[in-house]
Amino acid sequence: MTTTRTLTDRYVEATLSRLPGRQRPDIEKELRASIADAVDDRIDAGTDPAEAELAVLAELGDPVRLAAGYAQRPLQLIGPALYLDYTRLLTALLTTVVPAVAVAVGLVGGLQGTPALRVVGDTLNAALTTGVHIAVWTTLLFAIIERAAPHRTPARPWTPSALPEPPSRRLRYAELITESVALVLFTAFILLSPLVSTRTDADGAPIGVFSPWLWETGVVYAFIALLVASLGFSYAKYYLRWSVPLAVAGSLVDIACPVTSIWLAANGKVLNPAFVQAAGWPADVPRWIGTGIVVISILTVVHTVTEGIRRARHR
Amino acid sequence: MLDDELLSTHLQELRRGTVVLACLLVLKQPNYGYALLDLLDRSGFAVDANTLYPLLRRLEKQGLLTSDWNTEESRPRKFYRTSDLGAALADALNRDWDELDTALRTLKGGS
Repeated sequence: MTTTRTLTDRYVEATLSRLPGRQRPDIEKELRASIADAVDDRIDAGTDPAEAELAVLAELGDPVRLAAGYAQRPLQLIGPALYLDYTRLLTALLTTVVPAVAVAVGLVGGLQGTPALRVVGDTLNAALTTGVHIAVWTTLLFAIIERAAPHRTPARPWTPSALPEPPSRRLRYAELITESVALVLFTAFILLSPLVSTRTDADGAPIGVFSPWLWETGVVYAFIALLVASLGFSYAKYYLRWSVPLAVAGSLVDIACPVTSIWLAANGKVLNPAFVQAAGWPADVPRWIGTGIVVISILTVVHTVTEGIRRARHR
Repeated sequence: MLDDELLSTHLQELRRGTVVLACLLVLKQPNYGYALLDLLDRSGFAVDANTLYPLLRRLEKQGLLTSDWNTEESRPRKFYRTSDLGAALADALNRDWDELDTALRTLKGGS
């Protein structure tokens, strides 16, 4: 027995190899009969047998497409039913998580005194890697859903309540006012802390509750600048339409504050050791305060990211 | 001037569902893949082989067609025939077609 296989054999094989095993024998018999019928028909009409076979197979077209028809597989990565959910989730993740990671990496690198050029490189690298991961895994997830549930109910029903919220909501205005007041009080508290204190040293000068290191290095001013910028973005989000650059910049700043706090707390740069001593606090207290700051900061990051995703999905 | 591509796109859209109805009507007499393709083509329902063959199996899976292998001739062939359910669907589609036709006529007459 020779192993020369005809074009038809190869065509049928290419089609069957993409079909589930139990469908193969039946489809093979039928497909072979259909091809043979079509070839015979052309030969009867006076075509050369080899040419007739070529023409019939060419007409049947790509075997992968034919197999997809038999198996009812979608010929698209993500179909129209899922496409909007896909783009919404992808935009939401890219505009929140990527800036969050970039800020975290950049700030930690900067605060640890890594050379500026390397900080920039590390930040860009981290942002790019995160973005690529998000894009790949989100796409993969939706491609799997598309294939796993091809005949599920049509896309999630849309209701008018999903429309973008008008910027004139009274509740959100109240939040904005609260944020502004809190910022002023907090900034005043920090800036006044070296001058007004419950403890004084031997000369009667006040001992600030926050570490003098913050003032010596100027970190305290950078931190306050971040808080002001964050408030500025809250106003921008309130008055301007949602846009990708605004969302990205807002997330960057919103996440920069808690990340800085975490770094300061973790390195024990928040409290003034002299104040702790003067107040006679047990050794555990600064540690607990540091842990508290870290926990609150992490919650803030989580809140910023989830809120960013919610806004991006509802825009 | 109506360009060919635009015309063929819209004709395709308009005719998309009619192949199913044509199959259900023609297959009240049992027939096999290639002969059906040929018959439909001659009746004015041009359909590609790679669309028709998977379609027949899909209709069979939905219970609209039944099939039998005929091995009496030299070449075994799978014969499809419209089931009772398929005939009922054909009636329903036919009624809808008639209603559409009437509606279109009314539109044309009313303008």
